[in-house]
Amino acid sequence: MTKEQTTTTRRGFLDWLISLGALITGLAVTIPGVMYLWPAARGKGAKRVQVKGAGKLAPGQSMMVQVNGKAAIVVRERSGLKAFSASCTHLGCLVKWVPGKRQFHCPCHAGVFDENGAVVSGPPPTPLPEYKVKKIGAKVFVSLA
Amino acid sequence: MAFGQRIRRFLDERFDTDVAIHFFDKQLHKRLPPHTSWLHVFGSLSLLLFISQTITGILLLIYYRPTPEAAHKSIQLITGEVHFGWLYRQIHAWGATLMILALLLHMLRTYFSGAYKKPRELTWVTGVIIFILTITFGFTGYLLPWSQLSFWATTVGTESADKVPFIGHWLKYFLRGGETVTGETLSRFFVVHVIILPWLLTGLVAVHLFLMRLNNLATLEPVGEEKPIPPRRGIPFYPVHTTKEAVVAVLLLAFIVTLAILSPWGIGAPADPLSTPEHIKPEWYFLPSYQLLKYFEGAYGAVLGIVACSVPFLLLLLWPFLDRGKERHPKKRPIAVTFGIIGLLAALFLGYLGHISETDQTFFGKRYHIDLLGRPHRITDTPEQSPSEEDPPPPVSRNMLDERSPIRAAPVRKRLAFPARAVLLGERTASSRPQPDKANDLLNTFSKLM
Repeated sequence: MTKEQTTTTRRGFLDWLISLGALITGLAVTIPGVMYLWPAARGKGAKRVQVKGAGKLAPGQSMMVQVNGKAAIVVRERSGLKAFSASCTHLGCLVKWVPGKRQFHCPCHAGVFDENGAVVSGPPPTPLPEYKVKKIGAKVFVSLA
Repeated sequence: MAFGQRIRRFLDERFDTDVAIHFFDKQLHKRLPPHTSWLHVFGSLSLLLFISQTITGILLLIYYRPTPEAAHKSIQLITGEVHFGWLYRQIHAWGATLMILALLLHMLRTYFSGAYKKPRELTWVTGVIIFILTITFGFTGYLLPWSQLSFWATTVGTESADKVPFIGHWLKYFLRGGETVTGETLSRFFVVHVIILPWLLTGLVAVHLFLMRLNNLATLEPVGEEKPIPPRRGIPFYPVHTTKEAVVAVLLLAFIVTLAILSPWGIGAPADPLSTPEHIKPEWYFLPSYQLLKYFEGAYGAVLGIVACSVPFLLLLLWPFLDRGKERHPKKRPIAVTFGIIGLLAALFLGYLGHISETDQTFFGKRYHIDLLGRPHRITDTPEQSPSEEDPPPPVSRNMLDERSPIRAAPVRKRLAFPARAVLLGERTASSRPQPDKANDLLNTFSKLM
């Protein structure tokens, strides 16, 4: 028997027991609270959406659409339709397509991306993620790459 | 230098920390009168429930939407989809009922031990206002789920404001934000429930606690003859009284979670302004007033009814100034104690009548139909009876409350059933079927006990 065990008093043991009880009660109250606050996965957008009106886009024109609950931008280029995430990779503002320059401009901090989504200038750290565009008959679908 | 000491020195250079420490130390170890017992925990129990209501209320606010279109759906979401949402909703609903119960027990202890007498009249008055505000909390919160029950209970409740002399119609219009209960009413009740009342109550509780600490708890000695508490016989607030409070707090937590699981509150069908459900009754704490109002008929009667329902609250508010006797011990205050017991029994009796009115009950093996006014009518199972021997039919609705909803005999007090299993498993229930289940039976038994 070690020395510590022999010196455990009744009071000391009760103090320990009460502290343990308080800790368990505290955890039992706090953990459900944190779980409650954690957003439940629900109402997410579709991962593949049909883009109505994309077929009628003239070359150089663009339109916005929601994919997976987030904004995406569809652009009609000479080579065909392209789609990118519209959220600037800097701080999440939505980029605009500037047809004359064939660039995406972010209105918040002057980030500029080229027609392929690559960074041209400004603070964005990475290119705009590209999305898949698929034509089935006359219908155009955009989905996560 | 230890981190704690460095913080202490940082603060010391800015203000005299000894003053603050001395203040908290004095409050913590304050000696309470020697007779301070388990009966003295109801005040802190009420405070604990208020804190619990505030926390669960804030949590519910995160997912609740106060519009007629979204309110009921958001309650379904909280109950069915959010992690532990059902638990917080149940703790909030049961906490409201238990808070009113704790306040009533606290007031009973204060009344019968004569603690409201000089110099503690203002502590009592703030306490009564806290009680009235808490009931208002219950009333405004009841509408927020926007269910059939909450919609029509609010319609009936605000309709009775119409009977207040002179300003009644204006008052009703103001409360509802229009002629009828609509989204405007929901907005109003929401603001009152989550902004105005919480801050009012917080302020009043602060004043109430401050006054209580200033005068310490009352002893049973007559007014003006209180002796200072002997330092060695006084009960230390910490750790002795706080331990009692902690024990009660843990028991309360266990009790409230048990209720939440075994006897959950239903969500009910969404509000339908074009269809009044049958047999709606208010919560138990409104039952005495609800029943009392039934005995007053006609236009003048309705006014008298409102007055009759206000009298108990006015009496409570003014009681310390009406009862100026110096004695505190209940045995030396026969009139006040008798008056208190009669008042309590009257409230219990009226509440019980309200609870069983318009239901069929069995007393001593015989079946009775209890009518609107609480009168029993014997039910006989022999349909061959001659018409002359038949029981008189239950009278048609006789009071203003029921003019809007003529109702027939109800088997039990209506609370839309919501099976506990569905709550626990998080099953989504768009409209719960009114079917008696075990939880409902338990609830009925429980409300009878109360």
